[in-house]
Amino acid sequence: MTQEAVTLTIDGKEVTVPKGTLIIRAAEQLGIEIPRFCDHPLLEPAGACRQCYVEVEGQAKLFTSCTATVAPGMAVRTQNSSEVVHEAQVANLEFLLLNHPLDCPICDRGGECPLQDQALAFGPGESRYVEAKRTFEKPIPLSPLVGLDRERCVLCARCTRFCDQISGDRFIELFARGAGERVSIAAGEDFLSPFSGNTIQICPVGALTATPYRFVARPFDLSSVDTVCPHCSAGCNVKLDVRRGKVVRHLARDNLDVNDAWLCDKGRFAFRFPDDERRVTIPLLRDRGLEPTSFGEVMDAIGDWSRGKRVAFLTGGRLADEDAYALSKVARTAFVTNDLDHRREFAGGEAERLAAVAVTDRALSVTYRDVERAKAIVVAGLDAEQEVPILHLRLRKAARRGARIFVLNPRRTRLWDVAEHVLCRPGQEAHVLEQIVDGEGGDSGVGRAADALREAGEAGVVLAGMRLAEHPLAADVALRAARRTGARFSLVPRRAGDKGALAAGVHPRLLPGGRRVDDPGERAEVEAVWGELKNVVPGRNAKQILEAAANREIDVLFLVGVDPLRDFPDARLARHALENVPYKVVQSLELGSLEPFADAFLPAAAFPERDAHFTTWEGRAQRIRPVRGPAGLSRPDWEIFAGLARAMGGSLGFESLEDLQEESVGLLSPRAFSGGASAWVGAGAPQWIDELTLFTYPLLVDEGRLSEGASELKAALEEKPFLEIHPVDADKRSIADGGEVRVRTQAGQAVVPVRVTPDIAEGSVFVPFNQPGLAANTLLSGRFTAGATVEAVAAAEAAADPERLTVGGGP
Amino acid sequence: MAVLSPELRGEAERIKARYPAGRERSAMLPLLYLVQSVEGRVTRDGLREVADVLGLKTAEVEAVASFYSMLRLRPTGAHVVSVCTNLACALRGAKEVYAAAHDAIGSHAEEMTEDGLLTLHEEECLGACDAAPVVQVDFANHDRVTPERMRELIEALRRGEVSEPSAGRAPRDFKEASWILAGLGDGA
Ligand code: SF4
Ligand code: SF4
Ligand code: FES
Ligand code: FES
Repeated sequence: MTQEAVTLTIDGKEVTVPKGTLIIRAAEQLGIEIPRFCDHPLLEPAGACRQCYVEVEGQAKLFTSCTATVAPGMAVRTQNSSEVVHEAQVANLEFLLLNHPLDCPICDRGGECPLQDQALAFGPGESRYVEAKRTFEKPIPLSPLVGLDRERCVLCARCTRFCDQISGDRFIELFARGAGERVSIAAGEDFLSPFSGNTIQICPVGALTATPYRFVARPFDLSSVDTVCPHCSAGCNVKLDVRRGKVVRHLARDNLDVNDAWLCDKGRFAFRFPDDERRVTIPLLRDRGLEPTSFGEVMDAIGDWSRGKRVAFLTGGRLADEDAYALSKVARTAFVTNDLDHRREFAGGEAERLAAVAVTDRALSVTYRDVERAKAIVVAGLDAEQEVPILHLRLRKAARRGARIFVLNPRRTRLWDVAEHVLCRPGQEAHVLEQIVDGEGGDSGVGRAADALREAGEAGVVLAGMRLAEHPLAADVALRAARRTGARFSLVPRRAGDKGALAAGVHPRLLPGGRRVDDPGERAEVEAVWGELKNVVPGRNAKQILEAAANREIDVLFLVGVDPLRDFPDARLARHALENVPYKVVQSLELGSLEPFADAFLPAAAFPERDAHFTTWEGRAQRIRPVRGPAGLSRPDWEIFAGLARAMGGSLGFESLEDLQEESVGLLSPRAFSGGASAWVGAGAPQWIDELTLFTYPLLVDEGRLSEGASELKAALEEKPFLEIHPVDADKRSIADGGEVRVRTQAGQAVVPVRVTPDIAEGSVFVPFNQPGLAANTLLSGRFTAGATVEAVAAAEAAADPERLTVGGGP
Repeated sequence: MAVLSPELRGEAERIKARYPAGRERSAMLPLLYLVQSVEGRVTRDGLREVADVLGLKTAEVEAVASFYSMLRLRPTGAHVVSVCTNLACALRGAKEVYAAAHDAIGSHAEEMTEDGLLTLHEEECLGACDAAPVVQVDFANHDRVTPERMRELIEALRRGEVSEPSAGRAPRDFKEASWILAGLGDGA
């Protein structure tokens, strides 16, 4: 379908644009700037501010160029060629400034304010207005993150349109439309949207300001760098502002292929971790205590511990792509081990191998654009708002464009208003997906999802979240569902470094590019670059590594940017492991709860100090850039790995980032991939022996390390621990909403406030993974689900219970 | 405490059902009148309950409620006396009528008298300019009101009587007027 083109002139210059284009956009194409406040290319036109007037030949009245579309042969005149337009714009600016205070010297927006800029460029210079201006109490907090100075507002409705059209979190509105009009929030409510910060950034004046940035800096105080958010696999493009060496702000950069113009509030406001006071930037070696030392000494010590010994590596999803590649190589070449893993969920199977290959071959993957244009989308085992927030906004955008969306998850997600949810008990996903594959289900969510996928064909998308990785090969069935109809498929991991680590082979079986270490042909391709690999037996996954460590089968354990005590879904196993490994090497920003265990500490450079890449969930590698040098003696992780290789008497073969990138590019470029057959042989409806299935995943704002210091963010959005249970299950146990319950699993027990809600699958209970006061991994035994019992706790008993909100020692 | 009793909640659901699926939002005004008929004004709780019935955020409801002067968000007397002071009425002496009402009611405009009986409200054009100056008592029009007549209307309210409006039947009070405007019929 070719778009009909329209040719018109603006200020006498001819331009051809697709039919339906707004005049203001057409002018942009000619490089003609028309002043504007309410117009935003990603929001629907509002025509609220009246600043963008243009004259159209043959028309008596001026047009607002942000609401009027082009017509063939139209002759448009802007302020550049029309005195009438110029006068109207000057008058309108004078009008907008009537009530605007002379706040610039104390306004956070001063120096980067569209109102300031445009008043200077297009305004009258002086006001004839002498009467009293509107005043308000200032600022009112819309939440602990967002403040509103109402008298500065020009009523452009960008903020309210964002909440209406983009996030769907309609907490703020224009109240008292008319002379008393103002932006407001319902009394007694908070702006509880994880996307609230975007309204601050798009406010064209200083009416909405960020509490963490209030009175902190002036634009000319800042040094900035264009980089990528380190918090999740969405890969949002950010501008990072530093004042006197400290990060003070993240702003979104526009990138229509990735984050449009948005960030989630975590990405925007959790920026203090690199400057956290607990950060350690010198190497440490345990003597009597952990003593400061040099890199040379600590490396020598590690070399001595490790030569000829059994070594294993655990990491989280925080490593940059280059670091992951160096880790994959150092483990296998210098330490001759395949015991390395970046995962906490254990996928395995074809879908994961495909994902590893697809990272480097985007033809096999899904992009944001694919999501945006899809006709049918199945989201399985993913709570996008909490886990990959910008993907959530893309799904909402797809819905606005008419996509039919189905969410297969044990809990209803914030897509509830735009998607059909199929709630299924954890463990049931594969079975339900199989019904979709077989086109069963008839007139049910499952049946409709199957129909929608079939009708959409290649315009279908299947997104498999990490909850599917919990269960043997469930992701494979999702992949089959996609293959059956020609839909695109992607495994969607949560953390920023996950896809890069998978592609690089920080995995017990997969080498770079998804090549299997036990497949001679695939291995040979890696050996051609790395030299012969002496260990060709697939290694242990994270859980097996910890089990082996607990059984004293491992001598040296590297913990790279990961704290198994907090991150691994079995706190007790993690502790046993740490207690039973002779040497623990911690490579991170800080020691945290690993302090008593670490035998050596290797200080890593933090994200604002790094030149590297992160790969999005789609498989898009994006560059992160340093805004300052590494703090103290800290070094980029890949450099530390190169040093470790030397300490082991070898070499990684690269001394610079460029060498590393040059070497890895060959192994990470697209290659022929023939998916093998999945081992899946038909699910059948699962049988449960457990009373209830407890499941957990991290919420966006929690006690995770990268949110350290983000006090305003936590005050605004961090929830207290809770347990969700279905009314049917609650009734059986006489559990009342709002009370407290005791949940027991094989691993432990806890007393938690309960929410009784139909928004969870029957037979399931949910606790968030890491809210303050309850670390859910104390209830788990190596997986993110567990059989559980739940009982009501009388109020008095709960108050007296010393184990309240903590874990007990067994059932 | 819920503003709407279970019966009224049922009434609210019926009001909502009058509108096509996907357009339930259109029921907002009648629902706001419904909660106003219970409390004599729209309270924060009332806003929340309307939002709840319609599956909206409270702010979306308050945005609408704060636009319409017929929906009162502030403490309001049992009777609301609205005096139009817009152009046509102003030319025909509305200022004096308003001053008379103000004297007689003895409270600041938009506030409620201490006995909770009366609220004086200055209104924009009531769409009955031919009968200027126009006054409404609980939304019932009184045409060509003189300052004298204004004082009589208020005296009557103080005696517990509602004067006959220029057309139609007088609602008993502001709550009943709101009930009628909720579309629930002419009397309760
Ligand atoms: S607060 Fe800012 S974005 Fe919102 S309406 Fe006012 S000027 Fe526009
Ligand atoms: S969605 Fe993810 S990448 Fe984007 S700002 Fe939030 S945490 Fe960062
Ligand atoms: S930019 Fe066109 S009316 Fe505001
Ligand atoms: S001006 Fe008073 S009714 Fe129109």
